[in-house]
Amino acid sequence: MKILRALVRKEFLQIIRDPSSIVISFVLPLISILIFMYGINMDAVRVTLGIKNNDNSHEIARLVNSFGQSNYMNSIVSDDMNVLTQKIVRSKIKGIISIPNDFSKKLETGRAADLMLITDGSEVNTANYSQNYVIQISNQWLATSKYAFLMKPQIVNPVTRTWYNQESNGYFFVLPGSIAITMTMIGILLTALVVAREWERGTMEALLSTKVTKIHIVLGKYIPYFCLGMISMIFNLILCIGIFRVPFRGNYFVLLFVSALFLFTCMGIGLLISSKFKNQFLASQLSLGIGFLPALLLSGLIFPINSMPEILQHLTKLLPPRHYITFIESEFMAGTVWPVVLKCSALLIILGTTFFIAVYKSTDMRLPND
Amino acid sequence: MNAVKISHITKKFADVTAIDDLSLNIESGKITGLIGADGSGKTTLIRLIIGMLVAESGKISALGLDPVTQKFELNKLIGYMPQKFGLYEDLTVIENLRLYADLKGVPHDFEKLLEFTSLKKFQKRLAGALSGGMKQKLGLACVLLGSPKFLLLDEPSVGVDPVSRRDLIKMVRDLISSTTTVLWSTAYLDEAHRFDTAVVMNKGKIIYEGKPTELAKTSEEFENKIIDLMGGYKKTESPIAKNYVYSHTEDVAYTVVADNLEKRYGDFYAVRNNSFNIEKGEIFGLLGPNGAGKSTSFKMMCGLLKPTSGTAQIMGIDIQKNPEKARSNLGYMAQKFSLYESITLEQNLNFFAEIYEVPKEELKSRVDEIMNVFDFKKIKEQKTGDLPLGFKQKLSMACALIHNPPILFLDEPTSGVDVLTRRDFWNHITSLAQKGVTVLVTTHFMDEAEYCDRISLFYKGEAIAIGTPNELKKQVNAKSMEEAFINLIKESDAK
Repeated sequence: MKILRALVRKEFLQIIRDPSSIVISFVLPLISILIFMYGINMDAVRVTLGIKNNDNSHEIARLVNSFGQSNYMNSIVSDDMNVLTQKIVRSKIKGIISIPNDFSKKLETGRAADLMLITDGSEVNTANYSQNYVIQISNQWLATSKYAFLMKPQIVNPVTRTWYNQESNGYFFVLPGSIAITMTMIGILLTALVVAREWERGTMEALLSTKVTKIHIVLGKYIPYFCLGMISMIFNLILCIGIFRVPFRGNYFVLLFVSALFLFTCMGIGLLISSKFKNQFLASQLSLGIGFLPALLLSGLIFPINSMPEILQHLTKLLPPRHYITFIESEFMAGTVWPVVLKCSALLIILGTTFFIAVYKSTDMRLPND
Repeated sequence: MNAVKISHITKKFADVTAIDDLSLNIESGKITGLIGADGSGKTTLIRLIIGMLVAESGKISALGLDPVTQKFELNKLIGYMPQKFGLYEDLTVIENLRLYADLKGVPHDFEKLLEFTSLKKFQKRLAGALSGGMKQKLGLACVLLGSPKFLLLDEPSVGVDPVSRRDLIKMVRDLISSTTTVLWSTAYLDEAHRFDTAVVMNKGKIIYEGKPTELAKTSEEFENKIIDLMGGYKKTESPIAKNYVYSHTEDVAYTVVADNLEKRYGDFYAVRNNSFNIEKGEIFGLLGPNGAGKSTSFKMMCGLLKPTSGTAQIMGIDIQKNPEKARSNLGYMAQKFSLYESITLEQNLNFFAEIYEVPKEELKSRVDEIMNVFDFKKIKEQKTGDLPLGFKQKLSMACALIHNPPILFLDEPTSGVDVLTRRDFWNHITSLAQKGVTVLVTTHFMDEAEYCDRISLFYKGEAIAIGTPNELKKQVNAKSMEEAFINLIKESDAK
């Protein structure tokens, strides 16, 4: 017990004196949350389209006007197709609407009239948005024009409500998820460096020649960095809930309990990397590769898991952030949903314990043979 | 009584045999010195004795315990100081002591240790901010906690000046009881005489074991005897010097001139008032402990570091005003091995020939010639990183000589190589000097100072004495260079 206390105290002293662990715990979450808040925008965007109108009828002029007056769209009108093509090449506009000269004539006679929309396929999301906007705006125009009689009456009329996030506010759901990513990074990075550092500086060799046992070494790393990680977790929550006003509908105790399990799991990954590779540079590179990238790309925060290939979908179950993101999003937006909490906790306990055992097994009490 | 019994152990790392069928007994209650060059197997042997590593074959018994199966029991009886001392540099002196006291389960009673190591005043200082000598004392204090029966110190004296080295062994003798066994490894042959028993290692084998005074009366003689044991060194004409053509006709009074060189970092003077003139064909040595300013001076001399004030001239060319031209007269061998390890020996030579601007039409013949001279032909296709240390050093020198420079700058060319290779190196250096090459060399081996025509002794950033080896010895009535060095430093400290 005395030995463990001495090791934990030593680790805390090192944390206090080492600015890098403070930077990882407090500056990294701040930067990460700011990026998720302002840098990654998944809400609808305003696009600018070019319009070439070959039909000079009065009614069509109103259509051209309504393209320009929408909240989601700006338009640039030109008679020269070349000018518009130039602009699309320079990315000044995201698409071109071309209205043929027989457009109103066809409507007049009750036939279907075509309208050409060219979009910039190099930005698929924007292209999709543009397409939707153009369809919506032209339908609205049609309903209020003199050709309104041509519209078929709509029988089924879906009325949408977005539950848990009425305003469809992107960052309300991204920010809690970003906590998961930040905490993966912090949990893995903090611990990945510390064991490797002891090997690099030769202090591990000195420790191994004292009464220190394996469990001392393992717990001596878990305990201090768990405490630091939880403080960083609370800092994250204060940023999210206190500063950025993300609504929280769940229970704080449940949130902290599951977060603690999650942190425990991530630290296991970090310590495993560290005790296997014993080199700070390699350890930090691997934490990025094993910790950050899968957490960002495969956890379902940004890319939906349902749209991944099936094998990958199964593999994501091994990623602690995947389960934690499911939990934290529902805890924030829907409140405590016990089935989700229990399933997520159980999975994290299984993963965390597996990593703990792996860390214990791979902690060397002798020098490596190389 | 033997504290350690080793019979026929062998330890291999990949293809390299670190310990080769070695047997040894270490007597209880004595200080045994384990002496050998880098890579001779000292550290591996110490690690095997305490069970940090496990041998492929053979048997070890340490204090009656088997280090392989009873490592934990053995840990309670030993004090082990690894290389780099095993200190937490971001913890203070007292925090380090407290940590190791807790880990060994002994009370926090550091009065006597702090007193003896004169660290009392520095208790609150971070271990990383201590000088090399003080770190070493703190490391020693940490391993002495709990009065271990068996003390193992891995190169405790590396990189420290001779004065601190002498203090250290005195401290150990004062602080241990008469029954404590000490195993102390060192790369310096000249330290052998301080130990009760000396064990000299070479290439994983023991080449001498016994009382150092029985082998030789003085440490210089000891080194000669060890060279004999290694098969002896026959001085032959240096093929490198034989092939060297001195083709520089510039008429300068001094080939190398340091003019009041000074380097300041904030308030700290790394080097101050450093002036000297070196004549053509002279070997000029910069001597001093680590951190004294040797390497800083060196880097300023070849224009790698900008001096705060003062300048240097190479063949009469100012290194500040015309660095490229001045440097073209230099062959430079850096302290750390600075060739490309992933390419072959021949590719390294070609590369250096190109960057030293050997004319294209001469390049091939020049590289061929230097490979003949250094006897590299057989290994020219080998990857440089795989070569033994001695060969790497030779290759560094070959690269420095590829453009027939009139001046050679050698920064610790012999650190880490065995005595035989060191002798060979100095044979080349002295022969080149006879051909007219000016040599500026740094070293921390005191005995090597004897090869120099003149020496500048560096201490705390200043040259405290300049002169021929004999002049310096006479100046302070010393018998050996080491004694002269210690006396001169004491004199300087007294001022």
